[in-house]
Amino acid sequence: MELLKSLYEVGWFLLLIIAGVAALEGYFYVHFKFYDKKWFFPALLLIVPAACWGIFGNMLGGHTVALWLYFFLAEGLIALFFRHIVRGQHTVPYMLIAPAFIGLALLLVYPFVFEFYLSFHDLKLTTIMAWKETGQIPFVWFKQYVNVFTTSPLNDVSIWMLLWRTFLWTFTNVFFHVLGGFALALLLNNNIKGKGIYRTLLVIPWAMPQVVAVLAMRGEFHAENGFVNILLSRLAEWWPALANMGIGPVQWLSNYPLTTCTIINVWLGIPFMMVVILGGLQSISKSYYDAADIDGATYFQKLRYITLPLVKPVAMPAITLGTIWTFNNINVIYLVTGQAGGTEKADILVSAMYKAAFTYNRYSYSAAFAIVIFILLFSISVFYLHGLDAAKED
Amino acid sequence: MASVEFKNIVKRFKENTVLNGVNVNIKDKEFLVIVGPSGCGKSTLLRMLAGLETVTDGDILIDGERVNEYHPSKRNIAMVFQDYALYPHMTVAENMSFSLKLKKTPPEEIEARVKEAAATLQITQYLARKPQALSGGQRQRVAIGRAIVRKPKVFLFDEPLSNLDAKLREEMRVEIAKLHQRLNATILYVTHDQVEAMTLADRIVIMYNGKVQQEGTPMEVYSKPENLFVAGFIGSPTMNFLRGKASVKAGKAEFTSKDIKIALPASLIDIKALKDGQEIVVGVRPDDISVDVPAKDSLTENIEGKIDVSELLGHRENLYIYIGDTRVLANTDAIGREPGSKVKLRFNYANMHVFDKETEKRISK
Amino acid sequence: MIDPKKTYAMTPEELSEKYESTKESLDQLRGMLMPFLKSQYEKNRKALERKEKIKKLLIHLVIICCCFICIYPLLRIFSISLRPGDKLFSTDLSLIPDGATFSAYASLLKNTNFLRWLWNSLVITVATSFIGVSLASTAAYAFSRFRFPGKKIGMILLLSSQMIPAGMLILPLFLMIMKMNLMNSYLGMIIAYSVSSLPFSIWILKGYYDTIPRSLEEAALVDGTSEVEAFWRIILPLSTPALSIAFLFNFTTAWNEYLVARVVLFSSQQYTWTLGLFELQGQYLTQWGMFAAGSMLVTIPVLIVFLYSSKWLISGLTLGSVKG
Repeated sequence: MELLKSLYEVGWFLLLIIAGVAALEGYFYVHFKFYDKKWFFPALLLIVPAACWGIFGNMLGGHTVALWLYFFLAEGLIALFFRHIVRGQHTVPYMLIAPAFIGLALLLVYPFVFEFYLSFHDLKLTTIMAWKETGQIPFVWFKQYVNVFTTSPLNDVSIWMLLWRTFLWTFTNVFFHVLGGFALALLLNNNIKGKGIYRTLLVIPWAMPQVVAVLAMRGEFHAENGFVNILLSRLAEWWPALANMGIGPVQWLSNYPLTTCTIINVWLGIPFMMVVILGGLQSISKSYYDAADIDGATYFQKLRYITLPLVKPVAMPAITLGTIWTFNNINVIYLVTGQAGGTEKADILVSAMYKAAFTYNRYSYSAAFAIVIFILLFSISVFYLHGLDAAKED
Repeated sequence: MASVEFKNIVKRFKENTVLNGVNVNIKDKEFLVIVGPSGCGKSTLLRMLAGLETVTDGDILIDGERVNEYHPSKRNIAMVFQDYALYPHMTVAENMSFSLKLKKTPPEEIEARVKEAAATLQITQYLARKPQALSGGQRQRVAIGRAIVRKPKVFLFDEPLSNLDAKLREEMRVEIAKLHQRLNATILYVTHDQVEAMTLADRIVIMYNGKVQQEGTPMEVYSKPENLFVAGFIGSPTMNFLRGKASVKAGKAEFTSKDIKIALPASLIDIKALKDGQEIVVGVRPDDISVDVPAKDSLTENIEGKIDVSELLGHRENLYIYIGDTRVLANTDAIGREPGSKVKLRFNYANMHVFDKETEKRISK
Repeated sequence: MIDPKKTYAMTPEELSEKYESTKESLDQLRGMLMPFLKSQYEKNRKALERKEKIKKLLIHLVIICCCFICIYPLLRIFSISLRPGDKLFSTDLSLIPDGATFSAYASLLKNTNFLRWLWNSLVITVATSFIGVSLASTAAYAFSRFRFPGKKIGMILLLSSQMIPAGMLILPLFLMIMKMNLMNSYLGMIIAYSVSSLPFSIWILKGYYDTIPRSLEEAALVDGTSEVEAFWRIILPLSTPALSIAFLFNFTTAWNEYLVARVVLFSSQQYTWTLGLFELQGQYLTQWGMFAAGSMLVTIPVLIVFLYSSKWLISGLTLGSVKG
């Protein structure tokens, strides 16, 4: 019964979306098709503002005259735009991209702008109910930004510490991803039996649902029942020498959380790199290697002068993407340390931002934090891309 | 069936003028071939008639009706594409019946028409196959079949044979010629291959640089090329061009260059219109150069030359001959002439062409 | 050929005799040399082969080790899911434990909302993918086939929207959903998910449309379709491979999502399976077996779908990343 209810709910929603898209397309169609008709302005200005006023009035704070005036002005501008600038050209492509771009504007661009708005206000646990009822929140200028640099987003950790951890986290992860991925790809690129099976098995960490993979790995790092510690304690039993050197079971999750997260994320991320690099390796024509053999190149010379330069164009975009993904990776760290009472010693910038918002309910603070992270990431990317361009020109 | 008129067609892509005032008429039931090198605007013209390109300026009329703004489907034309453009997810029969289905033709009639077209093109046994399972020639037939089931006013062919290999191309050329006889249809055919144009066309339009260079029957454009471009484009092997000056003395005209002197008789050219010292180009086809033959009124005086290379083609041979520093190509009966040997050439006045160097226009009769 | 007009130094008979004797002596020489050459050759070949064999063996060994590391956690989960309730926390490392039972699976299905969670995930994910793919398929078509002012800017916007960290948008989306009173509902989740994979889907589909020759639509136009009909009847049916990649991508992204679900959904009835498993795993001491069983149940179908489609998915991914 409940299943039916949920289906009904979603079906109704989908119908609503289809109707919305249809209405939108109809709206544009009228504007594209009849822009030069005499009745264009009077009809649209009569109907559209009234319809929008009726439908969206409740959502936008009541059916006031001011709202109707807004709609009237907006429609007037849109109609003028269609009459004098668009003039019925390119109807089909614009109508095709309209739904997607309006969706993106509402659910990607608007939230982004809204985040910006939040960062200059003070939305927290004590003001959120008032905001929900009335839409009013206190405006605080740059106070949240000052807070970002002076107070801790979590219990007791500064933004500089987080920054340091983030760079450490990003660098070690990407480094091992590329190293491991490249090594495995090189191994797999040999002419060996069972290549397909090996490849299939090797991509399993990537193919598994990430939540399952991370949680399972987290279990393996459990102090008593996790595989890692079981293995370490057995090793220590077999070779007392190792135990003397201090190797033995460790409280992974509470004492070394960042290391644990890094190991888990390396395990997760190698297959993607391997697949991309393997694709690059397989696209290298064998004749280059034959030519190098005739020239008398050693294995490492071939690696250095043929494989690396030819794999680079495939690998570089993947590495760039991988860096951004790792930098923004909340999932692994949150899944490992996000339980109630979990440690905060592994948090990087983005996970601290998430926890500040949803564990500590400091919404505006988190928004300002997010903007700071965004600016940081953006400037690094610009810098990096600039460097890449310069390298290309050489 | 129908006639087509292009009136003063202009096409611009931003700064780039592709067609510059083109006027072409296609008569009812005529097979008109537009030929020209790639980039001359011939395909653009055809696609404009199909409604796949907009017209910047000018009018296109089908049966006297202006169709500039008509949607392609409303023009009652059928088109055969260079890459065939068969729908890969439909069988041959579905490909052929697609347009009829869209027009809501009754199923019995669709079936009858598809069967008839398939029989004409000998593809009946492939009707249930998908295009991937067909060879290039078979795909070509299906593409033509798709056009003829519609019984359109005009057929458009856009370089339909250029994706086939040489042997198949010859076969399909004959096939298309037969088809035209049977269908008795108006056909506009675009190609860059002058052999196709010569063999298929009722009338040829030669285009270059967005302009019509010459219009006429295959024989007309071959024997009386109106300018240097047409003279060089039509005919294989290419016409020999000799560059030099005209000298007019005492009512007698002569072509002179560093290496060659040829008398230009009144039968060839209007001597009064020729100025002394005018720069001219004399064109003569390789077939019209005779080697070591006795004097005749219709031929020039002997011109001495030396064979550089000789290519044996079977019963004919190509001789590349140096006259001084000027190299000409002669195509003669094969008698195994050795390279390096001296020969005496005579050009055939009847098929000699004289052009003004400046205007590149024909000035001979 | 023997030319009768010319005179030769030897008669044909002499010639053949000479030939026979030379051949004989050459054969003798070869008979003497061959065994020696053969043994040398064999020796070299064997050495090379041995080297090659050792190399291959080493490669196999290393790869097998890596494979083992890759699948070991999955095997462990499997083994734990089979453990009887009293032996959950043994330090036993064997794959099939003593007294293996399916009791964890039974109690998972009986005592928790696991099926309900799966159903919730499924509803949300299918609806999201449906919306995402429909929007992407049309927009990508416009970008692939038409020239219009703003096309380039649109593509750049699309790519740069990938620069916005997903984590950053969770908070505003959460607040918007709260404001719309859609907390703890499917609709809130669908709204939050629907456009997240849109730019990537548009990118993949555009790449695929670009490979379909334009003359197909032109043929359709001449045959009598409108522009929209040509897209609907010719291009869409031809694009099923790319559409399935896009659908799969949307599907896996939404199916595996955790962070948004974590803040939007709060009643166990409405949980997606990711939330449910997280909760089970959090109660480590009591629910470990059930967590393992649940993990197996969600992982197996996902793995099968992924491995089945991995060729497409990977080519799509590398295509996108190389072009980007």
